[in-house]
Amino acid sequence: MSVADSNSVVHDEAQDTSDLPPTHRLSAGEWARKNLFNNWYNSLVTVVVVCGIAFAVLQTLGWLFSSDFLIIRRNLALFMIGQFPRDELWRTWVSGYLLMGAFGIGSGVLWRSAQADAEEKGLPTESHSWPDLLRRFWAIIAVLIFFVSFARTVPPFVALAGTFVVFFVSRELGRRFSAAVRTRGLFFAGLLGLLSLLVLAGSGGLVALTVGGLAGVWTLSEARRYADERGVGSPEMRGRSRRWRPPYPFKRRVGGALASRVAAVVVGVGVWFGLRTIDLGGYGWEDWGGLHLTLFVTVIGISAGLPVGILLALGRQSDLPVIKGASVIFIEFVRGVPLISLLMFSWLMLPLLFPIDLDIPGPLTRAMIVITAFSAAYIAEIVRGGLQAVPRGQIEAAQASGMSAGKIQRLIVLPQALRAVIPAMVGQFISLFKDTSLLTIIGLLEFLQTSAVANAQTEFLGQGLVTVTYPFVALGYWAFAYTMSKESRRVEERLGVGVR
Amino acid sequence: MLGRLLLLVTALVLVTAVFLVGRYVIDKVTRRDTSDRPPPWRDLNVLSLAAQVVTLGLIVTVGAWLWSNFRDRTDAIGLELTFDFLDQPSGISIADNPLSSNAGIRDALQQGVKNTFLIILLGIPLSVLFGTLVGIARLSANWLVRKLATAYVEFFRNIPPLLVIVFLWGAVFLNFPIGASPTAEAAWRPFGGWMIFSNSRFAFPSIIGLDNFGIYQLLIVASLVAAVGVWVWRTWVFNNKGTPHRRALWSLATVVVLGVAFFFALGGPFEFSKTTVENRVWSGGFRMQMPYVAVMMALVIYTASHIAEIVRGSILAVHKGQVEASHALALSGLQRYRFVILPQAFRIAFPPLINQFLNYTKNSSLAVAIGFAETTSIISNLFGQSQPAPQLLLILMVIYLIFSLILSVIGNLVNRRLQLKGA
Repeated sequence: MSVADSNSVVHDEAQDTSDLPPTHRLSAGEWARKNLFNNWYNSLVTVVVVCGIAFAVLQTLGWLFSSDFLIIRRNLALFMIGQFPRDELWRTWVSGYLLMGAFGIGSGVLWRSAQADAEEKGLPTESHSWPDLLRRFWAIIAVLIFFVSFARTVPPFVALAGTFVVFFVSRELGRRFSAAVRTRGLFFAGLLGLLSLLVLAGSGGLVALTVGGLAGVWTLSEARRYADERGVGSPEMRGRSRRWRPPYPFKRRVGGALASRVAAVVVGVGVWFGLRTIDLGGYGWEDWGGLHLTLFVTVIGISAGLPVGILLALGRQSDLPVIKGASVIFIEFVRGVPLISLLMFSWLMLPLLFPIDLDIPGPLTRAMIVITAFSAAYIAEIVRGGLQAVPRGQIEAAQASGMSAGKIQRLIVLPQALRAVIPAMVGQFISLFKDTSLLTIIGLLEFLQTSAVANAQTEFLGQGLVTVTYPFVALGYWAFAYTMSKESRRVEERLGVGVR
Repeated sequence: MLGRLLLLVTALVLVTAVFLVGRYVIDKVTRRDTSDRPPPWRDLNVLSLAAQVVTLGLIVTVGAWLWSNFRDRTDAIGLELTFDFLDQPSGISIADNPLSSNAGIRDALQQGVKNTFLIILLGIPLSVLFGTLVGIARLSANWLVRKLATAYVEFFRNIPPLLVIVFLWGAVFLNFPIGASPTAEAAWRPFGGWMIFSNSRFAFPSIIGLDNFGIYQLLIVASLVAAVGVWVWRTWVFNNKGTPHRRALWSLATVVVLGVAFFFALGGPFEFSKTTVENRVWSGGFRMQMPYVAVMMALVIYTASHIAEIVRGSILAVHKGQVEASHALALSGLQRYRFVILPQAFRIAFPPLINQFLNYTKNSSLAVAIGFAETTSIISNLFGQSQPAPQLLLILMVIYLIFSLILSVIGNLVNRRLQLKGA
């Protein structure tokens, strides 16, 4: 408080206020006259709107007090995680804690490096205080607390508060990381995130493979750092560990690079096999449901769709007619048909495309394949906009300095293009988040479908309780989408996209 | 799969070899100097040809592999890949539609496309109208209106359209205060029963043609032409003499006067039909089923929140000097929007609006969730009767592709007309 006061004092002294027009705070009456009753029709409109709002508030209050929220209290777990086995609930909580820890460390590290970056360039640093975070995420926090308050028991409250505590503690931890280990912090956050999946889904198959891969990459980066610090390999390589390297003769770099690659492969494969043999025995995503499934499908759709989308966008920009044609046909086809028809495709047609001696993957896996293709087509169009926004001179300068076509795209064009489309990408994320509700139609238990399942329970059947469950679900969707759109606007302002 | 990949590599090598040999022969025949040409592995022509052959080869290989899997599986379950099933009886009966369930699948699909078209036809103009109003309200001088419009936009933009549809249907329309049961006796009948609002249908009066109705329709078309003539004439008067044109009023008067005159001249060529309900059977008049109203209203509410943002952005993008000039000319608020701001704003807003129209069209397929008999719903119904899925999916996608194509062609034509020439 005292800091804010002293700031305002400094501000007042710094500005000579004598030649500015006098400003005075409007009193309530003056404000109302200016903003609500400035002429006869605005007064009329105000009165009508006030009456309407009063009516709506009365109706809502009446609904709140007359409705029976038992259906929500009984089915809170159904809304959040679907039909996940109830005696294994500890998995979801542990997974949630790990995920919050990952978010915390990630955001702390990112904040710290953004601050260091800004200090280096002499820019004003952005405040990331606790109240600031609370203001940015108030919708999600408020709705989560609202949801949990339906449980009418203490443990969920404590557990939810615990996740927030974990988030803030790990965020502080992430902020304390020194510059040298910041990349490690990000790797660590990524591993924690994957670990949270591991607890939930068990360590067989894909997740173990991904954890192994990430561990391998991490080892590679650590080994290269070690090699740089010890001066193994060529002297020219120092300080370039994570960058592209010029092709030095094999003999000079063999000392550092080959060893680090071998180490990476050994660690990666070791972790993979280790996880497979331990086998935590969880439940794969075909058993997931509720809000958790909705968020998971959205994240997978965007992150798997992004690389495909970038390739499609580059293909569409290509001069080669075959590549361009194939990309255009795919993009326009997917964008021209409704997502429902694609989901029906995944439900009925995709099973027919697998080899006859292969087991058909489950409906959710098939739906995720289609959703990835769907989001890839939309992302491709977004990225294309970013590619067109990169000035032609950038490419020409890169060509003049003798870079190859691939390198121009990778080092010059794509970084600029992707930076410019971050807000649009968040918009696509929101729209995919809303579109996952269509999984209902092919009978998957996502967030919207949980409402129907709850209403089909014998206890609540045929009582018209959708009037209670639908607003509840709508609030959940709204909180996440609203927060994300706010965040995208913030990023947009910070990047200065759209400011000409 | 391995065999196919080998085939692909062979084909690639062959094509490249043919290209190189062919070029060599042509160079020799035309006696071209090739000393400045880079070696084939650095020649851009060769490389781009190779890249394209590889891509095409990969697509063909993967496509052929999928197709053979598909044939294996369809043969195993005995699925025939023909369109003969379209003539079989559909087994679908659509509410308020004379189509019998013995009619062919082809006819049922036609009705579905018609219903999709009806959702689009009424919904798009309504959502533009509503969205524009909300967009203007977001910039209102009235604080309360502004906040209300913002709350509306921020809420509906951030929830799924499917949720809006099922909520409107399940939580609002099925609990419609008038008529707790689907019998029409409990319905609300304003205007002496000429309109009926119940929780199964909305009914409005319609027109039934009697004798001379065909001639009357022709005459109405003629009077519409006359009205356009009057419009042009009033515009001419306004441009040359400066008297107020009032062309909308004049044209409307022309149509009404001529229409009434012809009505009496032909001795009453039509009569109004009132909807009647006897023993739960609805007849006469123009009837809207509740699912139709629910889908359309939900999509209008959802789409309007997006259109409002587009309109708001476009209004803000209109040059500030234009608004100031209209203030200087002492135009009223209505005149300012009607003559200065909106025409320019819509020029800016139209391209993103086309996108919203396409989204609206695609979202109309969500009607399947509440069983309104449009294209997707009917096809999903046919899936349930184990009609062949691959062909039906193909039909479904092609129908929506055609809808999208037509809408974007119309949109682009209109857009071209809207944009300033030579700008």
